[in-house]
Formats: sequence, C-alpha cells, structure tokens
Amino acid sequence: MTRTRRRSVFTVVFRVGTVLALALVLAPAAWLVAGVVSRAAAHWQWSVLWTNLYGEQGGLLGPITGTLILMAGVLLIAGTIGVLAGIHLAELGRPRRGGSPGGTWLRMASDVLSGFPSIVLGYVGYVALVVGLHWQFSLLPALLVLSVMVVPYIAKATETALRQVPTNYREGAEALGMRTGYALRKVVLRSAAPGIITGLLIALAIAGGETAPLLFTAEFSSGVWTGSFIHAHGFGYLTYLVFTFWSYPSKHANYLSYDAALILIVMVLVLLVAARIVVARTQRHSEGAQR
Amino acid sequence: MPPNPPAHAPVSPASDAPTQKEDHVTRKIRARYLAPAVLGAAAMALATAGTASGAAAHATHKKSKAVKLTVERPASGTISEAGSSLLYPLWNLWVPGYNAKYPQVTVQTAAGGSGHGISEATAGTIQIGSSDAYLSTSDKQAAKTLENIPLAISAQEIFYHLTGVTAHLKLSGRVLAQIYDGKVTKWNTAAIAKLNPGVSLPSIPIVTLHRSDGSGDTFLFTTYLSDSTKGWASKVGYNTTVTWPSAPGALGETGNSGMLAGCKATPGCIAYVGISYQTQALGDGLVYAQLKNGKGQYIMPSPTTVAAEAAGFAKKTPKTGAQSMIDGKIKNGYPIINYEYAIVSKRQSSSSEAKAVRSLLEWAINPADGNNATYLSQVGFRPLPLRVADNSFGEIKAIK
Amino acid sequence: MTTAQNAAGAAGVPPPAARGPIRTRPGDVLRSVAAALRAGETGAWRWGARVAVLLPFAALVFVVAVLAVKAYPAVRLNGGSFFTHSAWKIGSTYAQTVKTDGIAHPLGSSYGAWPMIAGTLQTSAIAVVIALPISIGCAFALTERLPRFLSRPLGFAIELLAGVPSVVLGLWGVLTFGPALSKTVYPFIATHLPNVPVFSFFKGTVGHGEGLLTGGLVLTLMIVPIITATTADLFRQVPTLPKEGGEALGMTDFEVANKITLRWVRSGIIGATVLGLGRALGETMALVLTVGAIFKVAPNVYSPMTTIAAAIATQLDSALTDGTGFSVASLAEIALVLAVMSVLVNLAARWIVHRTSRLGGPVGRAA
Repeated sequence: MTRTRRRSVFTVVFRVGTVLALALVLAPAAWLVAGVVSRAAAHWQWSVLWTNLYGEQGGLLGPITGTLILMAGVLLIAGTIGVLAGIHLAELGRPRRGGSPGGTWLRMASDVLSGFPSIVLGYVGYVALVVGLHWQFSLLPALLVLSVMVVPYIAKATETALRQVPTNYREGAEALGMRTGYALRKVVLRSAAPGIITGLLIALAIAGGETAPLLFTAEFSSGVWTGSFIHAHGFGYLTYLVFTFWSYPSKHANYLSYDAALILIVMVLVLLVAARIVVARTQRHSEGAQR
Repeated sequence: MPPNPPAHAPVSPASDAPTQKEDHVTRKIRARYLAPAVLGAAAMALATAGTASGAAAHATHKKSKAVKLTVERPASGTISEAGSSLLYPLWNLWVPGYNAKYPQVTVQTAAGGSGHGISEATAGTIQIGSSDAYLSTSDKQAAKTLENIPLAISAQEIFYHLTGVTAHLKLSGRVLAQIYDGKVTKWNTAAIAKLNPGVSLPSIPIVTLHRSDGSGDTFLFTTYLSDSTKGWASKVGYNTTVTWPSAPGALGETGNSGMLAGCKATPGCIAYVGISYQTQALGDGLVYAQLKNGKGQYIMPSPTTVAAEAAGFAKKTPKTGAQSMIDGKIKNGYPIINYEYAIVSKRQSSSSEAKAVRSLLEWAINPADGNNATYLSQVGFRPLPLRVADNSFGEIKAIK
Repeated sequence: MTTAQNAAGAAGVPPPAARGPIRTRPGDVLRSVAAALRAGETGAWRWGARVAVLLPFAALVFVVAVLAVKAYPAVRLNGGSFFTHSAWKIGSTYAQTVKTDGIAHPLGSSYGAWPMIAGTLQTSAIAVVIALPISIGCAFALTERLPRFLSRPLGFAIELLAGVPSVVLGLWGVLTFGPALSKTVYPFIATHLPNVPVFSFFKGTVGHGEGLLTGGLVLTLMIVPIITATTADLFRQVPTLPKEGGEALGMTDFEVANKITLRWVRSGIIGATVLGLGRALGETMALVLTVGAIFKVAPNVYSPMTTIAAAIATQLDSALTDGTGFSVASLAEIALVLAVMSVLVNLAARWIVHRTSRLGGPVGRAA
C-alpha cells in the first residue's frame, strides 16, 4: 500500500472509530435506561409514590422520603463543610513562597478521600458508630458516612469555582476597603455561586445513589422517618430496594425494585439538568462567557 | 389478604374464622379467663424456673404440668427482625396477622441470611434475629445473653433444573457430597444413575449452586453432608459459611430467592432451597429430590415425613432449643428438617421493648395464632411439638 | 477602639474629635457593632474554613486507624500467606475456640485473600484497558468531529451515565446485559478465537452472564464518563495554533490528533485513567451483583469470581457470626489492603495530573 493510501485509510478508520466509540458508550447507556424504564413502566402505578411500604407490600413512600432526607442532610452537613474547605483551599490558606497557594497536604487528603472505597467507609461507620457508640442502624451514622464521602467533591468544586472568579473583583473589593470576610461573602462567593451550586447538585446525585455505605449504617426500614437520628430501627432508602427486592419471590417486590430504580434515575436526571441550567444561566449573564 | 386469626383463648384448638358475633363473645370469654390464665402461667413459670436442678424431676411430670401458652398485650413500639431467608416468607405472613390483633406494634422484617440475623442480634442492632441454625460456641461466648428460641419446624429440599426429567430423583448425602466436591460432574454419571434406574438422565454438566452469604440453609445442607460422609466432615465441615470445594461451574447466590433465580436460569443446576420457596420453585419448573435418610430409605419431603422426623426429636430437644434434627435415623422421616430459631437477647434495651418482643414471639408459637396451620401450611412448615413450645415459652419469658 | 475608628474612617464618617463633645448615639453603636462584626467576619470565615478543611484529613486518619486496630489480630496471625493462599476459611465455629499466639479464633480458620486481590486487579484491568481507547475516541468525537448541536446533548448524556447509581447498573447487568452477552457475544468469542494457549483464558464454558467479563464491562461503563470528561476538557485546552500548523503542513486529521493533540495532553490522560482506575478498584455494588460470588481465581474470563470490595460487602454478615472476632479482623485486614491500594493509586493520579496542570499561579484570572 502506498504511503498516501495508508494515511487515508488511517484517517477513515480514525473518523469512523471516534463515532464508533461514542456509539459503544451511548448504546449500552440507552439500553440501560430503556431496560429500567420498560421494566418499571410495565406495572407502574402512580400510587407507588405515596403509599407506605410494609414488608413487601405497598408503595415506596418511606424509601423515597428517606433518600430525600439523606440528600437534604448531606447538603447541610457536607455542603457546609465542603464549601468552607474549598474556601480555605482557594482563598484563605497561607500562601507559600513562589505564589502557589498553601494547603497541599490538606488538598491531597481531600482528593485521596474522594476516591476512597465506599464499602470501607461503611464498614468503619458500622464499627465505630453503629456498634461502637451504640447508635444502632439510624439516620445519623448514615449521614456522617455519606458526608465524609461527598465533602471532597464539594470542596473541589468550590475551589475550582473560586479560582474562576476574576482577580479584578477581589482587587476592586479591597480597593473599596472591604475586609476579606465581607468581600468573600458579598463579592467572591456570589460570583462563584453557580460553580458551587453545580458541585452541590452533583454531590446530591452521588449521595442519593449510594448503597454500600448505607447497608452497614442504616440497614433498612420500611416506614417513613420517625424523627430520630440515633437509636432507631433502621432507615429506609431507595437503593436498598434496587439491591435486594429484585430477587425476592414476590412479584410485587420485584416491581417495587424496578420502580425504585426508575425513580433514582429520574432524580439523578433532575439534579444534573438543574446543574446544567445553573451553569448555562450564569454564563449568559457573566462576562467572558463562551457562547 | 391475611386469614382472620382464629378466636384467641389459652391453649384452645384452632377453630374456624370467627364471625363478628363470635368475636364479641370470645372477647368476653377471654376477658373472664385471661387474667387467671396469665397468673397461672406466671406461677407455673416461677415454679419451674425456681428449681433448675429439679428440671429432670419436672420432666417426668411434664404431661400434667403443660404450660399454658398466653400472649401478652404490649404497649406501642417497633421491633426489627432480620435474618433467615427461609423464615422470611413466614414472617411476612405472621406480621399482618399479629398486627390485626395488636396494631400498636410495628414490625420491620428483612431477609439477609441467618448469619446476618445472628450477628445483628449479637450486636444489638435488631431485636429478633431469625436463623435456621442454633447459636455456635463462639456466638455464645461472644454474647452470653443470647438465646435461640424455636418458633416452627421447617425443612430443606434439593432442587434441580433438568428439562425433560419430571421424576423426583433419588439422591443420597454421599452422592451430593461428591457432586459438590466436583467428583461427580455430569448428570448421567454412574453414581446418580445407579440410584435412579429407569430415569434417562441427560449428559449435561451439573452446575452446583451454593449460598455465598451466611446462611442457615448452608448449615443444614453441610450438616447433612457431614453426617453422610466422613470426607466432607473433615475437609469442609458444617457452618453457616463454609469454604466450598472447587466444583466446575459452581455459582454462589445470595438468599434462597437468589438460589431459585440462579437455578431457574441455569439448566443442569442443583441447589439447596428452603421448603418455604417450594411453590415458587415448582412454578419455575424445578423439581425436588427424594433424599436418603439414616434408615436407608429415600423419602419425599411432605408434611407427614417432616412430622415423623420431628416427632423423633421432640423428646431430645433441650430447654435451650439447640437441637440439630438432621438425619435422625427415623423410619419414614425426611432427613433435612430444622427448628426455625429466633435469636433474641435476654436483655432488651427497655422493658416496653422487651414486652413487645415477648408478645410477638408468644403469638408466633401459640398454636391458636402463629403456629396455626393457616399460616404454616402456606410455607410448608410444621408446628412445634407441645413440649418444645413450652420450652420456647419459658425462653421467651426470660426476655426482660 | 481601633477597629471602630478604622471602620469609621473607612465608612467616611468624620472622626469623633471633629464633631464636638462625645455623645454615643445609637447609630454610632450600630455602626461600630457592624464594623466589629465585619472585622470579625474575616476571622470567622478563616477559622471556620480551617476547621472544615481539616475534617477530611481527620476522617481519613480516623478510618485508617480504626481499620488498623481492627485488623491487628489478623495481621499478626495470618502473616504473609494472607496474600498468597486461596482459601477463606472461617473454621468450625460450632467447635471450641482455640488460641494461637494469644489470639482467639475458631478451630481450623485460615484466611487467604489471593482470589479477592486477583479479582480486583482483573476487573480493574479489563475496565481500564477497554475504557481508555473508547474514552479517547469519545473525547475526540465530542470535541472535534461532531457539530455543536450534537456534541452538547451527547456530552450531557455521557455525564448522565456517570450519575447513574452503581446499584442500578449492577441490576441491569445481572438481569439484562449479562444474560444477553452470554447468549450472543461470549459464545461467539469463545468459539471463534484460535485454539492457541495465549487465548485459552477466553475460551471454555461461557456461563450465564455472571462473571469476570460481565463485571469488567459494567465497570467500563462506569469509568468511561470520568475519563471522557477529563480528556475532552484537556482537548479543548490544546491551543489551536499547533493544530492548525500541523494541518498546514499537510497532516491528516488522524495525524494531527495522534501526533499533536494526544501528545500535548498525554500526562493528563494518564492521570485521568489512573483516576478511573482508583474508582474501579473501590467499586462495590455493581460488581456484587454481576460477578457472582465464588472465592476462587477465575479459570476463564466468563467465570464467576469475587473482588475485595464485593467480598467485604457479602461476607461481613458471615464474618460477624464468628464470635471470636477473628473473621471480622481478617475482613478488616483486606479492607485495609484495599484502602491502601486506593490511596496509592489516587496519589499517583493526583501527582501525574498536578505535574501537568501547573496550579502554581495566584487565584483567579484576569477578567
């Protein structure tokens, strides 16, 4: 084959290959969504959304509220800690010589934690909180373990968002005599807000989809949350149903499992679309946006 | 819809579902007799508990001192139960029945395997751990307040998936051990064909299914194999979790329902499954085997054969309830049966919680309520013999 | 006092001396409180942020400490054979417990974690080897080949795939994907590969969908979005001048992509891949559902096996039935091994990425 011929063959292979690669990823993804939707839609009843679960009968009200409560709790705990940590890493750390921002070790610890196997975190939560502190399977151990998992993502998103804020804003604030804390609140955080909110929404999606750490800290409970943070009799959430109910002999339990999977996918979709909307909206208003 | 619980009165035989009028009358009778009955039972419990050394003497008089089984009325509360997937279907039948009478107690049920039930009851994260296996030595050493309370009698069956073979194959413990050991790998091997003359076995490989989670079913199955072959007993032994030998194509499943799902999907599979899943298994096209018992007979699992085996062990069962009923060398007895245990700690976190637990367990062992054929026949279980039920009642009363 | 004066100066209020006799008016008090608060606000932010940033570090230390303490009896007794032996034996818990070296354990217990470690490495290797070329191809497709109106929604679709809960992926894998593959693709591969010893791992019994390859493919679907997103970002940052120069010299699309773009972002891609590897090592739920639960090294690529994370998830309840606590200690030991593996891989990824992204500059960019 001549060299020219070979080069054109490679070009065609490359062009086709990239599209093929995309198809190889999107086709299974579409198959997955279609599979879940079809299994859930085959026996879907809207009453599943507001009927209580008891044993294997009923609907998904308890687990749905459970997942939402977990997300809200994680937003509160991990959101606060993560945003503050991100602020430290981006703004308030003691700067090193040479201009690099400080906090390398802390950033490294945070990054290492973000890839940590969730089952190990769940196991430690079981040993230390559920059994060690006698909290038993309840909401608080689950919230703490999930927050530990998710804080690094939020911190990283906050740090990235803060780095994107133009230096001019900070310089202008200082020129006006604003103190650092005040400038942080009124100027810097406000412009970084979209990035931070995006990070929070993605963290919520991660927290809602977790199973392994919750298996050992919250086990399961059918009913709606009774209000107790510790010494409860388990805490219900949707992913448990997806994990266990699909193989139970009762057909209704199987349907509940598929319904739970569908609801989870819808939740993730809503959160990620919201994140996209936040980014798109602010890009329209901010300067230097890529249109 | 759960069946209407029959009229409740102390130690009365099961009656048909009462009409509204009868309920009203029965309530009056109950109101009149319940208090003295409870007092009588309490007095008797005190008397029997007081003389531990006189237990042997009491045994000879036990026929006249049959304990009256009563059910306490609890305050409101929540109970968590988890564990054996073999008992799980029965719990899902019991709970609505119990709640029909005592709606103030919420009962959370879950499967997860007997190992899960034992370990969480030990840790105190659940109140009732269900297990097909009684507590091990190390369990008892780790948590001295745990007791295993027999609730009902269940059995285990060996299912296989062979299209075209509808006969109930005869299998022995030795052959099963060889299969799970990987020594017998095809269905038409001589070892199996010899036991089943006249059945045309296909030449497909045997796919052995075993439980990967901590399972009371594993305990029962491996006990049967250990009793049948010394090789298995020394190499693998029996436990809720064992190290399975390498059989080609072996699969590990979670829960009885996982075993069924796996066997349904795999032609040539063989699996040990609890009797409470029999309807499901038969509906999936699986067939159960006849098992060889200690007398050399090949027995089909049925209410009669399970009852025969259970009757042989009723006298031997100790007060603690820990009794293996595998292969008792009983004529016409099905070799793999067991007590279903509730693993409960004698020390509960509060007296109201203890009362709720006692109430639920007393309801479960009462022949008029949970131990009634209306519930048990749906899962193929047998009720406790009266002597064992009395023992269980004593154990339940010890929960504070 | 000083802060109040400063604040007053900053706010443009003339100093008290210029206004005649000192009379504290409510407005002044409020203003000075506000000023003090604003001054204190910086301190509050600073200290709050300091505490917050220490928490992940403290959590990491706590987790490793708990694991180490729990695993200690097992580490002492299992020794080095823990990593080479293949049998995970709880022992006879129904017999008397024995003591070796002062540590109580059931008779006959011995723990070997080699099948789990091998399984983790195998599934992660399959996932990374398949995901890397696919992700690079996707990234090229999204940034260079496709028009904007396609690349935006398709990029978003890949992002959605990243968000799908792993347990839903596992459920689909065990119910649909695995069985479908085992009926079509696996037999095809097994029968059509040449009968050479090198390929013997890919031939043999095809099974029914639960196994190493199914788990590896599901894992691939999970890490492709991570690598694709990072790679696409990197591609977008490659300056156009070198690329245009290459085209001006007569290079084809493929040659520009290969010799210029890829070479520019090579370490970034390696970093992203190692990140994906870290995710694959720790993945639990999807693998619990799709790889089966056999504690032996897989004889061929379609066989059921187990990984460290899946083993911990399924064996914890069994381990807890061992009242001596030795089984739990052994699980804690393998959990510690997984944690260390994950930490090392993550650190390597961060180091590689950090080397190339030059975070050295001051915060912010010119507007």
